[in-house]
Amino acid sequence: MFLALKEIKKEKFRSSLIIAMIVLISYLIFILTSLALGLARENTDAINSWDVAKITLSSNANVDMRQSFLTKKQAGTLTKNEAYLGETPVVAEAKGHKQQSAFFVGLKNSQFIAKNIKLESGHRVRHSHEVVVDDSLKLKGYQLGDKFKLNDDQTKFTIVGFTKRAKLNVTPVLYGQLGTWRSLRGIKMGPVTSVVASENRQYQPHQSGTKTYTRQQIINKLPGYQAQILTFVLMIGFLMIISMIIIAVFLYILTMQKLPNYAVLRAQGIPSRVLVSATISQSILLVASGLIIGTLLTAVTGLVIPAQVPMAFDVPLLAAVGLGILIMALIGSLIPVKTVLSVDPVSVIGGE
Amino acid sequence: MSAFSVENVNQIFGSGTARVHVLHDINFEAESGTLSLIMGPSGSGKTTFLTIVGGLLTPTSGTVTVNGIDYNQRSKKQRDALRLDAIGFVLQAYHLLPYLTVADQFTLVDKVKPKNNLSKEELNAVLEKLGIKNLLHKYPSELSSGQQQRVAIARALYPDPAIILADEPTAALDGPRVKVVGSLLKSLAIDHHKAVVVVTHDSRLIEFTDHLYEMRDGVLTKQPITKE
Ligand SMILES: Nc1ncnc2c1ncn2[C@@H]1O[C@H](COP(=O)(O)OP(=O)(O)OP(=O)(O)O)[C@@H](O)[C@H]1O
Ligand SMILES: [Mg+2]
Repeated sequence: MFLALKEIKKEKFRSSLIIAMIVLISYLIFILTSLALGLARENTDAINSWDVAKITLSSNANVDMRQSFLTKKQAGTLTKNEAYLGETPVVAEAKGHKQQSAFFVGLKNSQFIAKNIKLESGHRVRHSHEVVVDDSLKLKGYQLGDKFKLNDDQTKFTIVGFTKRAKLNVTPVLYGQLGTWRSLRGIKMGPVTSVVASENRQYQPHQSGTKTYTRQQIINKLPGYQAQILTFVLMIGFLMIISMIIIAVFLYILTMQKLPNYAVLRAQGIPSRVLVSATISQSILLVASGLIIGTLLTAVTGLVIPAQVPMAFDVPLLAAVGLGILIMALIGSLIPVKTVLSVDPVSVIGGE
Repeated sequence: MSAFSVENVNQIFGSGTARVHVLHDINFEAESGTLSLIMGPSGSGKTTFLTIVGGLLTPTSGTVTVNGIDYNQRSKKQRDALRLDAIGFVLQAYHLLPYLTVADQFTLVDKVKPKNNLSKEELNAVLEKLGIKNLLHKYPSELSSGQQQRVAIARALYPDPAIILADEPTAALDGPRVKVVGSLLKSLAIDHHKAVVVVTHDSRLIEFTDHLYEMRDGVLTKQPITKE
């Protein structure tokens, strides 16, 4: 630590350059992570808020709840752990507002999903033309009591409540009654619901024409979801590797320049351990300072970023990512450490 | 008492046509409390000899015994520890760490070897004698090469080693400074009972020595001291 601190202090310019680089990279990684998490949440928030474990769909729906229709027979008998859920894409249109794409989710008030939905304001749906909507619509200027049309249904729907965490596939959800789902779908007879959702992990009906999936399986099949996650993971991974290479190159160059000095120290009996720990603590010090500044920048960004930007700052996740960067720095210092270990004191003794 | 002894040491570098026989059957003994001077032309094997005595190079044949123990019986770690505690190396190429001030060069030794180093007063006395006391807060790049050499000498003395091996310690110094370094090395031997071995071209050091040797083509022979 002593040597590392002294060297950083003496080589202020070089050290600030490398710290600046780490700041930029860690900032970018933090922002991308928050963006990835934010987007992931906007994809899955609604499903997660329902607290379901298993979902039964038509076997020909390609694991897509919107494409699933179950008849009463297929839905089977429900216990208190199961609930009907009818989902359909809609376009909401209100005076003074742009058209708004949304998912209509029809529920039965008596079943557990409707009970799990927490209202932020307003009241629960009591009539067929009432909806509880995601609070992101507030940002777009909707208020309690506002009315809009859905698709070409002529009846007006009224917003009676707002709820948080009601997004599916980055699209706001409108909660209404199951019967409304039927009429929006134009169903007169046959299907009674899109899916049956269960809180019970062991739920496993065997009705023909249906298939049961876990919540995660449904989420993974959300359109574009996995591609998005993969893109972010790839970018973050590459940035981590880049930070590792930068640290490796920087320390390697510094170490190469110091080899004659290290050789003299070795000749004087200073153990390799001291030189190795100087190299490693230098890399940790540089990266840690970069991370701290990067974290501050991220915190400031989190404060000023507009609410519409889908960013979620999750401290444990960011801490894990920060730790990842630190581990990368440690790996990056392995090459210089190897050089330090191979220093031959005899090499400098004879001459200049 | 013999601080270290060298018996029948031969050093051969390379093989085939590149083979060089650098040291021939060297026998040498350094007593505590004496200063020995080894003189010889460039390329005669002086530095190679010191490298072997310091345990950095294992000779092709022969043994080196320090404090009664043969190097062959010491692990690499033990040799490191021996160099840290018992051997003060003043190297031809001093290579002071560029980012440590003169004061920090000593602090580094404290960090690695917290005990049995020179006291503050003793260090100050050495620095004073060497004329570098006012340089404590300078970096090596701010020093002349003679000043760096004197810092390197002080650095080697700081752990208070029983054996001092110096390779051309006066190369960068002018006449008066040579006298200072010569008498310092001499007083280390006499007043502090150390075994001091100095390898040099510099005949100005002869007046301080107890024993004089000549190294010529890898052969070491004892010489009479003729003080002018
Ligand atoms: N590692 C090595 N491999 C091959 N030859 C070597 C090696 N080290 C030293 N030599 C040779 O050994 C001989 C003695 O070298 P040494 O450095 O001991 O001389 P020196 O007496 O210290 O000379 P100088 O006064 O110039 O410092 C030289 O001919 C040198 O080329
Ligand atoms: Mg030499």
